[in-house]
Amino acid sequence: MVISLDLITSVISFLFTLLILSYLIGDNPLFRIAVYIFVGVSSGYVAAVAWWQVIMPRLIYPLVYGSVLERSFIAIPLLGALLILMKIFPRWAGLARIAMAFLVGAGAAVIIAGALIGTLIPQISATINAFDVNSASVRNISVVEVIFNGAFILAGTVFTLIYFHFGASPKADGSMRRLGLIETSAWVGRIFIGITLGTIFAGVFAAALTALIERISALINFFGNF
Amino acid sequence: MRVLTAVIAIAAGVLIAGGYFFPALTDVQTLLLNWAIILAGFATLVGIFNLIAVHTGKIRRGEKGSVYSALLFIALVATLFFGMILRPDHSTMKIVMNGIIIPTEAALMGMLTISLLYAAIRLLRRRADMMGIIFLVTAALLMLGSATLPFGNIPLIGTLLSPWVTQILALGGARGILIGVALGTLTAGLRVLFGADRPYGGT
Amino acid sequence: MPDIIICPSCGENNLPDQEFCQYCQTRLQPLTGPLKGADAPIKPGQVPTKKNTAELEPILPQWLRDARDLARKDDQQAAQENLQQPAQSQPASSAKDLLAGLQSQAGDVKESDLPDWLASITGVISKSTKSQTESSDFRWVELGDKNDFAKDESAELSSDEPQPDEKDEVRDWFRNLGSSEQTQQPEQPESIENSFSGSSASDTPDLLRTIGGQEETANSADSADYSETGLGEPPTGIISESLKSTESATSANELPDWLSSDATIPPSTAVEDEPTAMEDVPFDDIEDESEAAALQSPSYTIFEEKSLEPAQEEHPLGWLDTFQPVSAHQPETPIEQADFTPLDFTEDSQVSDNLDELFIDIPDGLSSASEVPRSSIPTADTDSEVIAPDDLPSWVEAMRPVDHGISQLSSQTLESGGALAGLAGVLPAAAGFAPMSKPNAYSIKSQASEEQQAQAALLEQMLTAETAPVPMASFSVLRTSRRLRWFLTFTIFIMIAIPLFLRTQMFSLPVGIPLAVNGALQVAQSIPEDAPVLVAFDYEPARVGEMEAAAAPMFDQMILLRHPHLTFISTNETGAILVERFISGPLAVHNYQSGIQYLNLGYLPGGQIGIRAFAQNPQITAPFDMSFSAAWDSAPLEGVNSLSQFAALIVVTDNADAARTWIEQTESARGGIPFVVISSAQAAPMIQPYYESQQISGLVSGLYGGALFEQYNAGRPGTARSYWDAFSLGMLLAMALVLGGGLWNFSLGLRDRAAAWEAQ
Repeated sequence: MVISLDLITSVISFLFTLLILSYLIGDNPLFRIAVYIFVGVSSGYVAAVAWWQVIMPRLIYPLVYGSVLERSFIAIPLLGALLILMKIFPRWAGLARIAMAFLVGAGAAVIIAGALIGTLIPQISATINAFDVNSASVRNISVVEVIFNGAFILAGTVFTLIYFHFGASPKADGSMRRLGLIETSAWVGRIFIGITLGTIFAGVFAAALTALIERISALINFFGNF
Repeated sequence: MRVLTAVIAIAAGVLIAGGYFFPALTDVQTLLLNWAIILAGFATLVGIFNLIAVHTGKIRRGEKGSVYSALLFIALVATLFFGMILRPDHSTMKIVMNGIIIPTEAALMGMLTISLLYAAIRLLRRRADMMGIIFLVTAALLMLGSATLPFGNIPLIGTLLSPWVTQILALGGARGILIGVALGTLTAGLRVLFGADRPYGGT
Repeated sequence: MPDIIICPSCGENNLPDQEFCQYCQTRLQPLTGPLKGADAPIKPGQVPTKKNTAELEPILPQWLRDARDLARKDDQQAAQENLQQPAQSQPASSAKDLLAGLQSQAGDVKESDLPDWLASITGVISKSTKSQTESSDFRWVELGDKNDFAKDESAELSSDEPQPDEKDEVRDWFRNLGSSEQTQQPEQPESIENSFSGSSASDTPDLLRTIGGQEETANSADSADYSETGLGEPPTGIISESLKSTESATSANELPDWLSSDATIPPSTAVEDEPTAMEDVPFDDIEDESEAAALQSPSYTIFEEKSLEPAQEEHPLGWLDTFQPVSAHQPETPIEQADFTPLDFTEDSQVSDNLDELFIDIPDGLSSASEVPRSSIPTADTDSEVIAPDDLPSWVEAMRPVDHGISQLSSQTLESGGALAGLAGVLPAAAGFAPMSKPNAYSIKSQASEEQQAQAALLEQMLTAETAPVPMASFSVLRTSRRLRWFLTFTIFIMIAIPLFLRTQMFSLPVGIPLAVNGALQVAQSIPEDAPVLVAFDYEPARVGEMEAAAAPMFDQMILLRHPHLTFISTNETGAILVERFISGPLAVHNYQSGIQYLNLGYLPGGQIGIRAFAQNPQITAPFDMSFSAAWDSAPLEGVNSLSQFAALIVVTDNADAARTWIEQTESARGGIPFVVISSAQAAPMIQPYYESQQISGLVSGLYGGALFEQYNAGRPGTARSYWDAFSLGMLLAMALVLGGGLWNFSLGLRDRAAAWEAQ
């Protein structure tokens, strides 16, 4: 009798699902066993992926089979990789700062440009364009509706931003409070933030519910296969 | 060392940022970014090695829960061993993914349903303010709007109110948050490029 | 700081034009003239350098030069008279008397190269009949070589003493000193006086008596300092040492009359130099003289035990025996050395530790006594009221070097008052010695201006607002309701499992396609045939059910209609294998083959960095596929060299940040190609603004979006449909529980708060 890989996968999947769901009746060793094994398996898998899909193709392969120019270019990241590996040894962990500095600098530049080009300018422009009456015909809605929606979007954007303005000045009684206009705007901003967070909560719940449905469906299908 | 790291971070940042705006620096940007990709991959390995070190330390010291650590270590080493030999895309390795990783993560995510529902029900017991009420009413409204009835969408709520809340009201708040995040990101990145912040340990 | 002068004595700030400290009257301005620089402190262990002060002789006043001449003439006679002086009357080279050192030096006069006038100075003094009121308050002055010092001092003093009737400044000054001491001397305890009346009192030089009286006065004000620092011990010990050592150099007859006069000064002994001993020991407990003497001479014990015994052996001077411990004077009540020591201060480690330092700090005149017989060391006395700086004669002031380099004298005692104010290291003093002058009066009134006070009040107000505790709304600690949790678990599981188990399709799929979903649909239907499409798979395995249900309808329709060549890449480590699962699962019906219809580029590390690099130059960033083959030569990527050459970009993600990163980093590289995001329901609210800003062409979110898309999928059943009943039931149940449970808990919360308020 040949046991198929799908059957093995189904059995293991069923077991691990049950072990994890056992947490609903309380914390228990079975749940912990499943979680620890999961962490170990995931880490091992990620390490294998990092080796086969990062180290091998991007570092070792060019170093072995690459041209002289490729090898010379790969020498620097190789050195950086060795420096990062120094983090393993506490005595030499300080050397890893060099490579980490490079990573941080590169990341900073990328997020600056991305935030500026990809979010700040387009989103501000879109907030302005929300009042574009020409879009009414494209969306097949009335101009009034465009302005109405645009006003809400603008108000939500501005008041939400104002809510995150925490600059305050001392009052006569010694308390620190924001300016009255900002305080009022922040209060309105809280309404928009509450709505947004409520929307996100509903989305998270929907995602979690879908995951639960998928798991229960998998359990039912496991029994259905027999 | 502090000066060296700061110089490296700033130089790398300036060259890469320049690649966005000056075509002449595009090749330099690509080169530096590919170097950073390799370093990021190595950082992942270092993180996993740290995980191994922590749990082997627990096993060696015989701490409470060292049995679980042993299980983790065995699972990790075995998966890594087979992954190195067979490669991650091998059919046998798919057992690991479809049999352990996906079911476990999905089950954990599914349990979140109960936790979220429980928290939402108890929210107003602890925090009965305007923010809490708006939050909960919005969530309930969108839950209702996401569902359908046997005869179709829930009238008014599913067809009008829920989309308007999602696409107009929530959009304004989300845009404000996004712009705020972008401003914060911009500030944080500029501080790194100016050397004011040195999260790489140069301070 | 150039604008102020810090007093080396008291540390107070003074104006630069002040000559004396306005707080302690210490000289602040350096001396000028020939003595400039003579005040440089001598460091411990430094051999004093000889300074030639003979050049000062021409500036001496006429009366002083006459005195010198007279001194020379009477030299021989003075020596004879001194030899006739009883040994007991030899002044113990008073610890306070500047001239005491001259006596010790006088013994060396004949042996050294001192000029005659200086050598005969003691003779002159002995001839003079100075009253006890002229007892000097001089102390050692640290100036160059001991011989030089003696030369200067004695030259001036000796010129004064042969002319007792002359009403000059020196005499007035000395007279005042003596009278002041007399008036300030307190009554000595009777028992002490009696105990020494037979021997010590009569034998003790008047100068020492004066010192004793003065010390007693001082100690009455601040005896604690002495007892703590043991200040009373070392000086007297040093005195005894110096007395002993002086014996070798000076005969007992050399003591001048004015120094030995004891007629009017109350009897005092060297014991009186030891106020600590006197205060520490109750007088009532002293039963006999010997015991009292033992108690009163602990410093002798220290001295003899630690350092003087060798000196005694080397310099067994007879006349100094009178200043030996009382046992020497009262042989009928011999006291053992061991009996001297039980007093606390004799055991004071500070004293014993600093004993060597005390000798090191001896002024130059005394420091040379390590080579020659030691001279007397004056006891510390800082009674600045006795001699005010203003009262000093000019020539004495000229002798007072003012120390600039106070920093070099950190280990030395600096005189803050009296004639020696400003001198350092003159008097040996134990560490911790503090001047006994009156504490300076400082105004405690704030001198801040009104504006400053207003600002301070504002700052205080701000700080108060910041640090004031903010009362937190009290609420009862909510315990986890296990019953509610189990109820929710049971209800949800039942409501989900039943439709899944029964495979019901009662609930209709959502109708009315939103604009965002419609945009995605348009992209799926409008891409060219066999066009390359880049797909980023960036979701966690946890959401594989939702993401596959949301993405499968679009890919199904797209493959069905346009047969695109799909290129997958993932910034998630597990994304690559999820692609394989997706292809072999929901899209299995299309039988897409790796390397032909689709290509899996695998894992792209680095997050935003990787995405930017890939967008900038995908060929360099991702050169291989999952099977380690050259990716860009394969069929799915034929003719593609850059991101903008793809027909469409589809991002499948459960993370709003991942979607934002793809949107941001490909903004400038993707050109005008369609960009669709298939997201989890949890990420959709934060991605919606990007659709509104038209940065993305379409958005399909969650199971709801997948269910919408499936309706345009030619009626092909999909995952979304199979989940939809359970999903709808679950959402309705959740809405009911949230609203119902929320209202119930809201009322409970109000009740709890009302109860709490009533309780308060």
